[in-house]
Amino acid sequence: MPQTEHQPTSVATASLLEVDGVGKRFGGFVALENISLSVAPGERVGLIGPNGSGKSTLVNCICGTLRNEEGSVRFDGRPIDGLAAHQRTHLGLSRSFQLPRPFASLSLLDNVRIPRLYTVEARAHHSARQIEEHCHGLLREVGLEEKAHHLPRDLTQVEMRKLELARAMAAEPKLLIADEAMAGLTHSEIEDILTLLVRLNEQGVTIILIEHIMRAVMSFSRRLVVLVSGRKIADGPPEAVMRDPEVERAYLGQ
Amino acid sequence: MRTLPFFLICLAVGAVVFGAAVGLGNDYIFFAGYVVLQYVVLSTAWNILGGYCGYVNFGTAAFFALGAYSTVAIYKFISEHDLYRMPMPFLLLIGGAVSAVVGFGMGYLTLRLRGAFFAIATLALAVVLQTLVVNWDYVGGSRGAYVIRPEAFPLIGSYIRYLFLIMLLLAVAALTIARLIERSRLGYGFATIRDDELAAEASGVPTLRLKLIATTISGALMGMAGAPYPYYIGYLQPSSTFGLDYAVNSIAMPLIGGTTSWVGPLIGAILLGSLQQVATVTISSAANLLIVGLLLVDFVIIAPNGIVGLLRDRRTTSAALAEPPLFTLIYIINLLPMYFLMYQGGTAEWIALFFWAFLFFAALARGWAIDRRWLFLFPFFGALAAQAAIAYSSFSLTVISVCIHAVGVLCGLITNRRLADAPN
Repeated sequence: MPQTEHQPTSVATASLLEVDGVGKRFGGFVALENISLSVAPGERVGLIGPNGSGKSTLVNCICGTLRNEEGSVRFDGRPIDGLAAHQRTHLGLSRSFQLPRPFASLSLLDNVRIPRLYTVEARAHHSARQIEEHCHGLLREVGLEEKAHHLPRDLTQVEMRKLELARAMAAEPKLLIADEAMAGLTHSEIEDILTLLVRLNEQGVTIILIEHIMRAVMSFSRRLVVLVSGRKIADGPPEAVMRDPEVERAYLGQ
Repeated sequence: MRTLPFFLICLAVGAVVFGAAVGLGNDYIFFAGYVVLQYVVLSTAWNILGGYCGYVNFGTAAFFALGAYSTVAIYKFISEHDLYRMPMPFLLLIGGAVSAVVGFGMGYLTLRLRGAFFAIATLALAVVLQTLVVNWDYVGGSRGAYVIRPEAFPLIGSYIRYLFLIMLLLAVAALTIARLIERSRLGYGFATIRDDELAAEASGVPTLRLKLIATTISGALMGMAGAPYPYYIGYLQPSSTFGLDYAVNSIAMPLIGGTTSWVGPLIGAILLGSLQQVATVTISSAANLLIVGLLLVDFVIIAPNGIVGLLRDRRTTSAALAEPPLFTLIYIINLLPMYFLMYQGGTAEWIALFFWAFLFFAALARGWAIDRRWLFLFPFFGALAAQAAIAYSSFSLTVISVCIHAVGVLCGLITNRRLADAPN
């Protein structure tokens, strides 16, 4: 059953992320129109849509990289509309970028160390050794520990994406938004990253996955949201959403 | 190494430098040394914003002049009201505070600018401030201002020694601050701003606040470097205080030394600063800018990451140098100034050694790459012949030395084509 509407009252209390009527324009172009979406703690949400449908714009509005002109975003029970991107990261909202954006002059270890120093360490202090061990642990989790002291330019495309995820995880987020973390990867590489994301989710991190690769989305998501031309046209269990004629028409073609 | 031991070691080195300068018994060394130390402070300060954060500031002169002119303003006020003369450390603090405020303001106004646009904005700041000072009669306007330097300072001797000591301590403080930043969370944050601001924000780095911290610290240190300057120079003039020299030098020095660590600006400032002092005395003050320009070109080619970077990745550097176009370019850039300097005689010949070293280095790298390891002999004997030509003032020897260099270039270039065609 697509277009599933959650009960407004329960949503307001239980949801981790609450996007309410968000709209964004670039000049005359309407990138997002009245998007409402709520994500409960621990969920695995897939966000799909054709190219240019506004997925990344929505992520940018949620994460504070762009400011939405209309509507509001609430995270963890508080409105975050006026907050800068780094403040949202502090609250526990992490993202990875569609095109990996590593810190090119810093080693992998330092790449992971940065979010740690600026978020987790700002709340509770650890010794330099503890931080270092934790960063090594993160790199180990994504299978990059051997290259801890290399620069990002030595990495392959997959490794770059893994680093991007490790860096997003380093901030110990409550919600992780993975923006096309698997584009251009091979079968087994996708499997690697999916396993990683599922493990994270099992540790209690809510995850929104933005992806084109349907196989990955279908196996990962417990709920699917579809954007087309800046509007949300479906929201519900993946199988039901995929059967929706409107989704089929707009997203998969006739 | 912790910060405190580092600071103490710096102090000890400073004490040795001061002791050595006193031991030489010539006050000129203090006048020259003061300028070099001033550049150590300026380039270290520039590097905090330019090297660590990647924001190129062309307005060094503005901050420097602000420090200098706040001293002039205080000097005027005190002499008009017949007050007790303010001790130098206080002047330093005031000059630093004024520049820090302006640095903060500049940072705030230019937050959205990056790259060339930021550089232009800082240049504009210097122009605006210069116009203000020129039209401010109290500090002398365009006529300039005289500041009478006291004769002596108790215990230390002549006042210039005191100024030298102040600048030495300031340099130690600046280096300690730079190193402290480098090793701290702040330093990591600065590096992320240099690399990718969007990703930095996503990693929780408050880029806006960090940029303001950087512009403020950098501005404050530049202002502090400028505060004692009126006492040093005696007559402060807007056009020279706001001169482009400060901006160019404080960019060139970190670039030559290396921008990623505190050592770079220090090496660059000592190397380039003393070279300029020597060139000013032995040739002319115009020649020193020529030398800076040429060295900068050399370093951009050979060591894009400065001397520190050169030492770090030697192999890639020599591989790049072995490319025929670079090899030729290095020859062209360095040969002419070398001859020019050699014919200036006296100490200028020592400066020629720098350019000769580049030739030698290029020939060595090229010779290694094309398996003609004797290639370095050409610049070696070429220079020797030129030296002999000067000693015996013989024209034919000069021609011979030029020929040796020319043959060296040809040997370096002609081999290449054959090697390039051959399969490796």
